[in-house]
Amino acid sequence: MTIPLLEIEDLSAGVDGKEIIKDFNLTINSGEVHALMGPNGAGKSTLSNILCGKQGYHVTSGRIWFKGKDLLKLSPEERACEGIFLAMQSPVEIPGVPITAFLKHSVNAIRKYRGEPELDTMEFIKMVREEGKKFNLDAEMIKRAVNVGFSGGEKKRLEALQMAVLKPDFAILDEADSGLDIDALKIVADGVNALRDGKRSMLIITHFQRLLEHVVPDFVHIYADGRIIKTGGRELAAELEQTGYAGFMKENR
Amino acid sequence: MNTLLSDIKLVGDELPWLKEYRAAGRREFARQGIPTAKTEAWKYTKPNRFLSTDFVFDPRGNNKFTVPAVNLPFAAHKLYFENGVFLSCDDDLPSGVEILPLIEALMFRPGVKNKLGALADMTKYPFAALNAACLNEGAYIHIKAGTRLEKPLALISHVTVVDRAELYNLHHIVEIDENATAEVVEYYGYTGAPKSSYLVNIVNEITVAAGASLRHYKFQDEAFKAGHLALNTVKVAAGGLYKSFCLQKGADLARNETQVCLAEENAAAEVDAAYKMNGWATIDTTTDIEHLKSGTTSSQLIKGVVGGQAKGVFQGKIHIAPDAVKTEGYQLHKAMLLSDEAEIDVKPELEIFADDVKCSHGAACGRLDAEQLFYLRSRGIPKIEAEQMLINAYLNDVMAKVDNENIRSWIKLSLGSNLPA
Ligand SMILES: Nc1ncnc2c1ncn2[C@@H]1O[C@H](COP(=O)(O)OP(=O)(O)OP(=O)(O)O)[C@@H](O)[C@H]1O
Ligand SMILES: [Mg+2]
Repeated sequence: MTIPLLEIEDLSAGVDGKEIIKDFNLTINSGEVHALMGPNGAGKSTLSNILCGKQGYHVTSGRIWFKGKDLLKLSPEERACEGIFLAMQSPVEIPGVPITAFLKHSVNAIRKYRGEPELDTMEFIKMVREEGKKFNLDAEMIKRAVNVGFSGGEKKRLEALQMAVLKPDFAILDEADSGLDIDALKIVADGVNALRDGKRSMLIITHFQRLLEHVVPDFVHIYADGRIIKTGGRELAAELEQTGYAGFMKENR
Repeated sequence: MNTLLSDIKLVGDELPWLKEYRAAGRREFARQGIPTAKTEAWKYTKPNRFLSTDFVFDPRGNNKFTVPAVNLPFAAHKLYFENGVFLSCDDDLPSGVEILPLIEALMFRPGVKNKLGALADMTKYPFAALNAACLNEGAYIHIKAGTRLEKPLALISHVTVVDRAELYNLHHIVEIDENATAEVVEYYGYTGAPKSSYLVNIVNEITVAAGASLRHYKFQDEAFKAGHLALNTVKVAAGGLYKSFCLQKGADLARNETQVCLAEENAAAEVDAAYKMNGWATIDTTTDIEHLKSGTTSSQLIKGVVGGQAKGVFQGKIHIAPDAVKTEGYQLHKAMLLSDEAEIDVKPELEIFADDVKCSHGAACGRLDAEQLFYLRSRGIPKIEAEQMLINAYLNDVMAKVDNENIRSWIKLSLGSNLPA
């Protein structure tokens, strides 16, 4: 039997002494795309951050297994090197750090961890430019500092570009669609679909059905009050659009 | 330190005026003593804990006469100083440039004598008095009128650590004549056990004549138990420019003090600096810019990164004399603290006696941004490297003050990392 890529078991966690995630369970196998939908403040970003090892959260109980490894024991950089990527809801600006230099450093750090040789600089820059075009980010933008002066939508496209360059085994997209215009949504969706190869897995956090029309998920989870209250197929997203969370919450109380 | 004040035979002692100059230095040093916490100019940087060591001063006693193998990654006319002794100077100097050992210049070049102690006031700065008492080594650098120096002059001061604590004393006199342009680089480094204790005491007296410009770069990378005290005194004439950049990252106790007198109309100064240290080090940047005449301008950007239990000190004074109308003086100090025990002490002083001047000072203190650090780490970049990237990014604007591209990349590299940003 193959082990699941990601297994979250009875996870309870919070921030500042406040419990946000309560007995949360989720299993994601290789190649699966899961969507996670839930009201504002439910703890979706908190879950993403805990999966990526961000400091400031406390895990009170539960385990997380990634490729059979105890994920909570790994540093953020080790998790990235193991193949986890988070497209952040609000990417931070980093003045003075150019995108190309940063991405090259990132790619090479991951390659080094895996015992692979570093990439040639010229080849790398060419590759990033090519990928950049797919996300409508031209050479001039890629020369800028990370996220500095980027509009909301441009930041989201830069997150998608990084995902395309780093090719993670498991990508978490935390509202990758928010703030995107209709064309940009299509661009990001195409980028995500291009990475779907039957092996790679994804957790797509979104408030709207629209992204899921382009990137069709295998499972849709409704998340509220710290746990998954309902799981279904893609039709669940459409249903949610009709009823809203209030309806679901009543029904599942 | 008292052993220093005993008589040692030094070059040129047979000249009564030189012997008397040294004696005056000894008297002044004895009178002022080593500054304590009560000395206002030294209230944050306390050399007494460090200078309780009895440093030996014996400039030619150790026979360390091999040119140090220090490679600077840029073309330069090189002057080598090894353990406080002027060893050699590249002999392919272009015309218009004259370089001599200081004592030789004092003895054989009429006029140089009048420059000695003309800017560095031994009655106010005790280590200038110590420097005078021990005056034996240094360079006289003269760039003649109209000369445009293509390559920088590099003063390489290297210490090969010995098994006793020694004092290395250097005094340089630099004259840039009318409309000449030059770059001078000072490098301080060492080989041997990094925990060795020694003291480097530097006095520079620099004159920039009308229409001339000097770019003065310094990188201080002493052993981490060493002391480094430097006094740069500068006088700039009409329309002249003095522009300096100093990176300090070595030594246990270091002070780079720069006093610039903008003596005539439209003289300009830019005094920029960066420092970075850990452990228990104290690194002090002290500036004193005096605007005497109208149209003079000065600007200062000083940025530091302090970790461990180290302490960064910045004291910056801008003085604008009554005649100095239509002047501009700007000063900004920013520091990043990497630990809870790290400390920053800042003392800005503006003394403005003229109207119609633009003057400002500012100070800011921050920490590594946790969100930025997480972002980089979440992309696989190890914590230490991510921190280094953010530190380099933080120092980017002050590094940009280094006009010479080759020297800038050398200084960036010397920050301890060849990482991007
Ligand atoms: N650092 C923090 N300190 C205090 N409270 C926090 C902190 N981070 C998150 N929270 C709280 O935790 C809860 C969950 O926040 P989280 O960002 O995970 O929600 P979310 O489900 O992603 O919401 P949204 O859909 O609006 O993005 C919120 O009530 C939020 O205010
Ligand atoms: Mg969120």
